[in-house]
Amino acid sequence: MPAELYWENVNVGDEMPVLTKEPITELQLVKYAGASGDFNPIHTVDAIGKKAGFGGVIAHGMLVMGFMGQAITNWVPNKYLKKFKTRFVAVTKPQDIITVSGKVIKKEEDIITCEIMAKDQKGEIKTTGQFEFTLPKKS
Amino acid sequence: MGELQEKLGLEFPAYKFVVEQGKIREFAQAIGDLNPVYVNSEMAEQEGYQNVIAPPTFGVCIEMWGGPGFENLMKELGVNAVRILHAEEEFEYFKEINPGDEITATTRVSNIFRKEGKAGAMNFITLETTHTNQRAEKVLISRMMIVERL
Repeated sequence: MPAELYWENVNVGDEMPVLTKEPITELQLVKYAGASGDFNPIHTVDAIGKKAGFGGVIAHGMLVMGFMGQAITNWVPNKYLKKFKTRFVAVTKPQDIITVSGKVIKKEEDIITCEIMAKDQKGEIKTTGQFEFTLPKKS
Repeated sequence: MGELQEKLGLEFPAYKFVVEQGKIREFAQAIGDLNPVYVNSEMAEQEGYQNVIAPPTFGVCIEMWGGPGFENLMKELGVNAVRILHAEEEFEYFKEINPGDEITATTRVSNIFRKEGKAGAMNFITLETTHTNQRAEKVLISRMMIVERL
């Protein structure tokens, strides 16, 4: 449960709490396919992933965005989140360990803007993005 | 590109999706997000929500399960689905989404442009979907930008 967060406590340059996920598994991709309804076989059928030149299945980009959403809402309650945007930079594979980090880049006109990124265990950037939120003010 | 450019502004038929509490739980669990606001209505109410809420990326579930299907959309656009990559995704949030909500979603082609790169030409297509609940309140807009490698 996120601790109560106020406008006054968040400033440009602040880092959001880092989230490191468990290694992605093939089983997680099967579960995410069923949950999201994205049954593109490149995410679940090894032979298709090989044929596409990835050496096997690759994770749904939206799963990685889901990890980023988790990191955001561990920090900022969902009700304050206004916008969340990601750019998919590199493919993610089973056994990858995704770490999500970010920091505040702008604070003006009642909106706080953060940049956010997801990296793997080798430091390769998988997904970059931005999100915007509001916060209650103490005064 | 000429033919594709004509698809700008094209709107697909609206569809409906009823949000089930079990679907929200399944979706959060698949991500491995154990935030209680997705599964426990009492905790969610304590946090100021009407009920359990949907996670920030739940729009994908509404669109994939409720929509006409990605391959059909691509066929409609005259785009080869095999040559498509998901480039960007954006969500804009207006209201919480709760179990029992009946979402009406409308997708339109909001942007198309071509880029010439070292690896060849690419078409960028943005599909914007507006999600409205049973009270005619806009709850979510999603913008999916896809790339067709030519």
